[in-house]
Amino acid sequence: MARRSVDALLRAGVTHVVGIPDNTSGPLFDTVQRHPTIRLITVTREGEAFALASGLWLGGATPLVVIQNTGLLEAGDAIRGTAQRMGAPMPFIVTGRGYAKMEHAGVTRDAERTRELLTRPDVDSTALFTEPTLDAWGIPWGLCSQEDDMVEALGDLISGAATGLRPTALIVTRGFD
Amino acid sequence: MLTVGQLLEPLSRHRTDEVVVTTMSVVRPWGRLSDSDLDFASADSAMGHTADLALGIALAQPSRRVVCLNGDGSMLMCLGTLATAVDVRAANYILVVCDNGVYEITGHQPVPGSGQIDYAAMAQAVGFRTVHHFDDARAWAEAVPELLRESGPTFVHVRTEPGDQGPIGRCPEEEARYLQHSLAEWSGIMRDALVAGPSGRT
Repeated sequence: MARRSVDALLRAGVTHVVGIPDNTSGPLFDTVQRHPTIRLITVTREGEAFALASGLWLGGATPLVVIQNTGLLEAGDAIRGTAQRMGAPMPFIVTGRGYAKMEHAGVTRDAERTRELLTRPDVDSTALFTEPTLDAWGIPWGLCSQEDDMVEALGDLISGAATGLRPTALIVTRGFD
Repeated sequence: MLTVGQLLEPLSRHRTDEVVVTTMSVVRPWGRLSDSDLDFASADSAMGHTADLALGIALAQPSRRVVCLNGDGSMLMCLGTLATAVDVRAANYILVVCDNGVYEITGHQPVPGSGQIDYAAMAQAVGFRTVHHFDDARAWAEAVPELLRESGPTFVHVRTEPGDQGPIGRCPEEEARYLQHSLAEWSGIMRDALVAGPSGRT
């Protein structure tokens, strides 16, 4: 269960969680699904999540998008053409597939993207591309790993998006409390 | 088969406080008929995501009807939205696919499956509560008032003739008011209208 995380979302005013679960975010989705006030909307593609959430914001709601970093790579034009161009405060969580593998393999985030690296079976290239992609798209981001406080990170994410009036990401590489 | 004018004019005549979301070939024609803060041009190339955006508005504003004037090419880019709209039981959502068979904005290249896809059957199979198909202007014009009242989610497939619309921009010289502003500016205008409106959140 992810009760502390969902309580943090409620305190921050989140009305809808929109996205597609993975093994990391599954407990968050399960907890929101049972929540009496925050509505869960599962979608069919990650780009759909950003467009739908942008519509929710237009209508006066406060959505949070939750996707895996694989889906982030799919969602680029949807983020750009909706929330970003709209100037919408759009907090989103990106669960970080491949981060643990990258660490175990001794690969640093700034490693050169050679053919050899990108085809190595012990390296998940999704993690390698996550942060540079967010940087390239002009999306502020933070990282919440094992030693970080999840509740504090979620609060910072949502307030950061609201202050910056733009899509803002939190990469999560640990389970939800 | 309807002209774009035959498609939009009855909707413009009967529309009251509904949100209308447009994309691609109907953006400018609708902007010539309507000057409402509740119009939204999804004209910034988010690759077929107009129906998703309109669905989000509908979910945030459950007591207000939201009409999405989607294209056939745009619909094919995001068919999963049909499943989402049914799953969330968006009773106030009216998704209109304006099927002209071509990518009109870029010069009338054919949309895959043009003339062969039964969009109404597709929506029926996904589970839309109400599904309509029109290729006759009079039947469409007569149906619009009821369409705007019925409980959905509603799917409407309309066969339309290709027009002559070119690329869409946002600049002060555009005739349609919703194209005279940046997307960020217009989003603020529309959000203010929705949130402050009689059925909006406060």
